[in-house]
Amino acid sequence: MAKTIAIVEDDPDQRANYADAITKKGYQVSAYGSREEALAGFNEALPDLVILDIILGEEVDAGFQLCRDVLARAPSLPVIFLTERINEIDKISGLRLGAWDYLPKPISLDYLAERISSLLRINEVRAEQDGARVSPTAKRIGELMLDQDALLASWKSHRIDLSGTEFRMLAKLVRVPGHAVSYETLMNATMQSLVTNNTINTHMRNIRKKFEKVDKDFAAIKSEYGYGYRWSAES
Amino acid sequence: MKLFRRFRGPRLGTKIMLLGLTLLMVPWFSYRQLVEMERLLIQGQSNAQLLTAKGISTLFNGREDLFNDLPVTIEDFESLYAHPLQNAVRLDGRVEDWGEGIIERALSFGSDSGAQDGDFQLLLGERAGQLYVYMNVIDRALVYRSTEHLRLDNADHVRLRYIRTDGEDGRVSLTLSEPGVITAYEMDEDWRFAEVGVPSNAVQGFMEPTEQGFSLEFRMPLSMLGSSRYFGLAFVDVDDPATRSIRRITQTLPTAGKESFNLVILRSPAVLNIIQGLGYSGARILVIDPQKRVRAETGSNTAPPPVDDSSATMELVQKWFTAMRPRVHKLITGEPWEPRRSLTRNAEATAEAVISSSLRGDPLALRRSLSAQQEVIMAAHPIVSRDKVIGTVVLEQNINEILSFQRAALEQVILVSIVSLFAVFIALLAFAARLAWRIRSLRREASGAIDEYGRLRIHELQSEMKAGDEIGDLARSVSNMLSKLHQHNNFLESMPRTLRHEINNPLNTLSTSLQNLAEENPEIRDSKYLESAKRGVMRIGIIVQNLADAANLEESLEAEELEVIDIAKLLENYVANCRITHKNCEFIYRGPDAPVYANVSDYRIEQLLDKIIDNAIDFHRTNSPIKVQLDVYRDQLQITVANRGPTLPEKAEKSLFDSMVSHRGPQNRLHFGLGLYVVRVIADHHGGFVRAVNLADGSGVAIMVQLPMAQPGEDPATTNGRDATVGAISRSRLPP
Repeated sequence: MAKTIAIVEDDPDQRANYADAITKKGYQVSAYGSREEALAGFNEALPDLVILDIILGEEVDAGFQLCRDVLARAPSLPVIFLTERINEIDKISGLRLGAWDYLPKPISLDYLAERISSLLRINEVRAEQDGARVSPTAKRIGELMLDQDALLASWKSHRIDLSGTEFRMLAKLVRVPGHAVSYETLMNATMQSLVTNNTINTHMRNIRKKFEKVDKDFAAIKSEYGYGYRWSAES
Repeated sequence: MKLFRRFRGPRLGTKIMLLGLTLLMVPWFSYRQLVEMERLLIQGQSNAQLLTAKGISTLFNGREDLFNDLPVTIEDFESLYAHPLQNAVRLDGRVEDWGEGIIERALSFGSDSGAQDGDFQLLLGERAGQLYVYMNVIDRALVYRSTEHLRLDNADHVRLRYIRTDGEDGRVSLTLSEPGVITAYEMDEDWRFAEVGVPSNAVQGFMEPTEQGFSLEFRMPLSMLGSSRYFGLAFVDVDDPATRSIRRITQTLPTAGKESFNLVILRSPAVLNIIQGLGYSGARILVIDPQKRVRAETGSNTAPPPVDDSSATMELVQKWFTAMRPRVHKLITGEPWEPRRSLTRNAEATAEAVISSSLRGDPLALRRSLSAQQEVIMAAHPIVSRDKVIGTVVLEQNINEILSFQRAALEQVILVSIVSLFAVFIALLAFAARLAWRIRSLRREASGAIDEYGRLRIHELQSEMKAGDEIGDLARSVSNMLSKLHQHNNFLESMPRTLRHEINNPLNTLSTSLQNLAEENPEIRDSKYLESAKRGVMRIGIIVQNLADAANLEESLEAEELEVIDIAKLLENYVANCRITHKNCEFIYRGPDAPVYANVSDYRIEQLLDKIIDNAIDFHRTNSPIKVQLDVYRDQLQITVANRGPTLPEKAEKSLFDSMVSHRGPQNRLHFGLGLYVVRVIADHHGGFVRAVNLADGSGVAIMVQLPMAQPGEDPATTNGRDATVGAISRSRLPP
């Protein structure tokens, strides 16, 4: 049975575009224009993945509220924010609410589809793995453990909670440890259409912070000023 | 010189104080006015007195008879002039209390030398209906009267002859029994025996021996003399106390032995009668004949002394005032102050001048002072009869009232002036200080409202907003301006965000639609139009993103954490990476070998370098190197990025780092002048500054960023090794 993707977007054109594109990928799409509609829909049946805009009509925080509501019912439900609100603070609040990813507009529909499939797969993997600590698909780079399928990362056996974008960037960074990875490569990894150096720096800082939370001496991510970043675990 | 150049004009306080100085005009004017007023009052008084004197004199014009009642022309008569006495006279044989200088008017009788025995000097005075007589007799052998003898003519004595009121001859002998009180007897015709046994009480006198004889002072009522006032005196000298015979008789009467008398000339009763009713308070009227004898007098020229009701303070003020007056007078009028004392000295001369002038036919009025406290105006007008001056009327009026009025007014003016001047000065001072303070604080706040780049720091003023005056208006209007500017600024600042927000949605629609379109129609997927449409969408997205980033820059910088890192390493690393990313450019780095620590956000510095290097690459002349240099000046480090190429226009140097200012020209559509603006904001945020200069040889442009270096105490980065460790770049830590 096809997975159900819920799209909450107040702009009908964009909603239709998303719905068309996602439907073409073989998913069942239920699109909502407002928070009330979405809630009513969720009451009937929970979707497998939710794509949320933050501003819905007059309600500037409707997306966040919906995220809270839906995660309260199904904590493991993948939620993606797809929004024009790309301020750092919004991004942080969205991810903090438990969203899996935070994607700024404009979005590439191909990327979106890819995201959706990857998140759904990850969700499945995670469900299967439930309990198993180390996935067989995991890749080990020094102290870093990356499970590409489950989108799980751990450092010195501590779980690191990364968003989808962050995970992909980290994965790109550690592909060849010790080699500098250019901004450009990292930009591609974000799977967003509009990325600046600044965006990369912000992401990298967030990743670094998350590592530092479990290991305050973490220094494996080095800046390569004017070029990009480098993963260098041995200090 | 510097100070002088900065001086644009006096401050507000100084101006107000200078204006306040004009208040000094008030006492100056007042004093001048008062002096003028005094002059006018005295002038008016003089004129009035002259008029009065003229009026009185007209009563006498043509009345020669009044002045001719004295037989001055008859040779037989030697007139004895009785001087009017000002003061009460004590009968003590001394003349001192008769008045100053009056003794010089004494008449001498006897031998020509006046030094022979029996000679005497005579002075007559008149006061309060009494005739006073002073005699200074030369008699080297005084023989007092012996009580053993009944006869009165066998000792030194003075004989008094007069015509009584009943027309009969009167004879009184003044006998000297001893120094002291004398005794008077009415005598028989032979001057031998007293007519009655008892002494006459009417005549009282006192005798005092002197070196050469004796002086005698006595008085008798004028009423004894009758209306004609014929009167004669004789001194009878007895030298031998044994024989007691009369040796010599010296008399005022003509020697011929005629039964004639001297005439006591007094003020004419008739004249007196005329002027009697004319006298008024503080005024004295005198009628003087051409011989300068007072013929009539009425009234007194002395005014009661001013009542002293002033308090101790006032007294002090008065004293001070009296002391200061000459200086004040000199200061204000420029003429020396004439104290009254000098007037007193000339009092007699003044009187003489007035009377003489009047007797010559010219009326005259002058001021003269009687004493330190008393001052009079003396006006004299001639009395004319048939073109001949037959006398003069002198009117003396006390002007103390005028003067004391003037003095009181003067004191008051000066006191009030000083007090009010002081008060006004203090008030002005306070006012000026307050005003200046208010304006200063307003200025400080207003100029602090906008920083050096023209950004608003506050959007309303706090000070002076409630003040009701013009400064308050100014504050409110400035505050109003600021808040309007703030609104506008807010609008401008939020515009990129709003723009991004508003553009992103349709852009997303456009982008997704294009993608769906390509999906639906595979045949157009390779169409160049689709590609260019996608590029267009992308470009709009980047522009909007850049705008929003720049607008949010300051906000996001605030959230940035700073850490101490080695800028030299960072730069070296950065330039090395530039060589990789910009293959077609040559980069030269020069910097110190020692680490240069600064407390910065590393990737903001990277962003800053990105923008400067981008700029340098855009403008550099092909095949010329871009030089990056790090210098250290004490506590500042300076990053210089220089490139050869077109120089900056003159006016660009200042505005180069402002938002949305681009000097690239129309061919660079993707640049909005945000790059160098970002550089400036980042440098600002790190406590540094940035400037762009043309190279000295005019071959290009250098952009310099100065940043403060980390203080020795600050902790260098220890937690992560973002300061690249691979290759030539080794991890850097401060030595422990």
